[in-house]
Amino acid sequence: MSNFLFLFRGGDATWTEQTPEEMQAHMQKWGAWMGGLKEKGQLVDGLPLAKSGNVVHKSGEVITDGPFAEGAEVVGGYLIVSANDQKGAVEISKGCPIFEHDGNVEVREIMSMNM
Amino acid sequence: MKEAKNKYLVEHAFRHGYGRIVSFLVHKFGPAHLEKIEDAVQDSLVKAMQVWAYETPPKNTTSWLLRVANNNLIDTLRRDKKMFHGDVNSIFNVDRSEQEEVNLNDTINDSQLKMIFACCHPSLSQEYQIVLSLKLIGGFGNKEIAKALLKKEESIAKSFTRAKNRLKHHVKTLDVPLEMGLSSRLAIVLKIIYLLFSEGYSTSFGEKLIKKDICLEAIRLAVLLSKNKYASQPEVHALLALMCFHAARFEARVDQNGDMVDLEHQDRSLYNWELIKIGIHHLENAAVDTNPSSYHLQAAISYYHSTAKNFDQTEWKSILRLYELQLSKQYSPIVQLNRIVPYHKVYGAEKALRELHDFEKSPYFLNDVLFYALKAAVLSELNRYEDAKSALKKAIALTTNTMEKVHLSKKLKALNS
Repeated sequence: MSNFLFLFRGGDATWTEQTPEEMQAHMQKWGAWMGGLKEKGQLVDGLPLAKSGNVVHKSGEVITDGPFAEGAEVVGGYLIVSANDQKGAVEISKGCPIFEHDGNVEVREIMSMNM
Repeated sequence: MKEAKNKYLVEHAFRHGYGRIVSFLVHKFGPAHLEKIEDAVQDSLVKAMQVWAYETPPKNTTSWLLRVANNNLIDTLRRDKKMFHGDVNSIFNVDRSEQEEVNLNDTINDSQLKMIFACCHPSLSQEYQIVLSLKLIGGFGNKEIAKALLKKEESIAKSFTRAKNRLKHHVKTLDVPLEMGLSSRLAIVLKIIYLLFSEGYSTSFGEKLIKKDICLEAIRLAVLLSKNKYASQPEVHALLALMCFHAARFEARVDQNGDMVDLEHQDRSLYNWELIKIGIHHLENAAVDTNPSSYHLQAAISYYHSTAKNFDQTEWKSILRLYELQLSKQYSPIVQLNRIVPYHKVYGAEKALRELHDFEKSPYFLNDVLFYALKAAVLSELNRYEDAKSALKKAIALTTNTMEKVHLSKKLKALNS
């Protein structure tokens, strides 16, 4: 078993055009999906990230404001998921509601110290 | 797990939250900032969506959204260097105990009531009043309204923009005491609520689920009115009773195939008795000594229909009396035509046909679907099948409503066999 980092990108570009009802429905899908992961013991951690932030370069000599790129490339949230291997983690990510709105999930294995 | 996560998140929490918070903020900051308020509330929903997907939603979702939307709005207003009056922060900085939660709810309800009156401002056309009420108070989206009213999404958006501009022009503040100008405005407000309900209730077109929500929203607004000591007039309770009795039959009006079922053939076990009981309660509260309103009379008719065992064992005599009372107060060709149904039941087909013959002298009924459908029913009871068929064919040719067309064609088929 290893832990995997899911990075969520995009999928929120059209929220200003969605009706409150649609937003609630979408959110409840996320809740159900994550609830399912939790039940199966696959969910380790995770939180949403604020839209804006900073990028710090050169020990703080250069600090730029985020968002850093096009909306679709901003990381909106992360999860840490436990899975057998990369393939299993990708399989888990397929159920994510972010795909309904053209978002994507980056799946990366978190390196273990005691290898 | 899933249950626990969404325990506090009731159905339509976002939609209702939207309507409540928009009203609250418009009340606080004034209609001039309407667009910014809408954006701020929309942003608060986006934030809620992101955060609540990860965590359990807060116990009081509305006050959470309200706080976020309020902060969003203040940020925007500051950025725009717009001045605004009033110390809104104070409401949010204090620890909210149970008691204050109740006060907040009162304030929200109060601002929603004021918002209803603003959206029904006499300077606005009926179309604008409906769109504004659905959007700003109901929290419905353009998409949903377009689907329910069978209009294009862009045309709803356009009409909403124009309606907003007019509203901002004519309504500078919601801070008018509710008791002032109430009697003159209440009639319009009730009419709009009635229209909202009728839009939702009509079987003609639109998505059923959203239409049902519009009916329930109309009922919710009337309930808000009924709970206010100034607005709680007998007519409000009569309208509420009327809407409850109608809504109770919602599920029975359409069969599993999505086809229309008329009153005569409805499965009465599908009627919602909880709603009927609430309706009866409001009908009792609506009592007046003299001069019942049209809502009173319609509610009473609907009461008899909803509580009858079946079509034949309906209090047709009482219903006929109510129609005649309605006609004596104000003539309406639609009421006169509908009166034929109880008249037919009380006096028989022969006499009903004679009444219908009199109608033919009036140009109003020459192109009326219901007229020919009623005529067909009466004729077929008199075994005049050929005449009944030709009346039905006329009705089918006249209707533009597909559900009605299917329904009438079925009847024609039954006559043919």
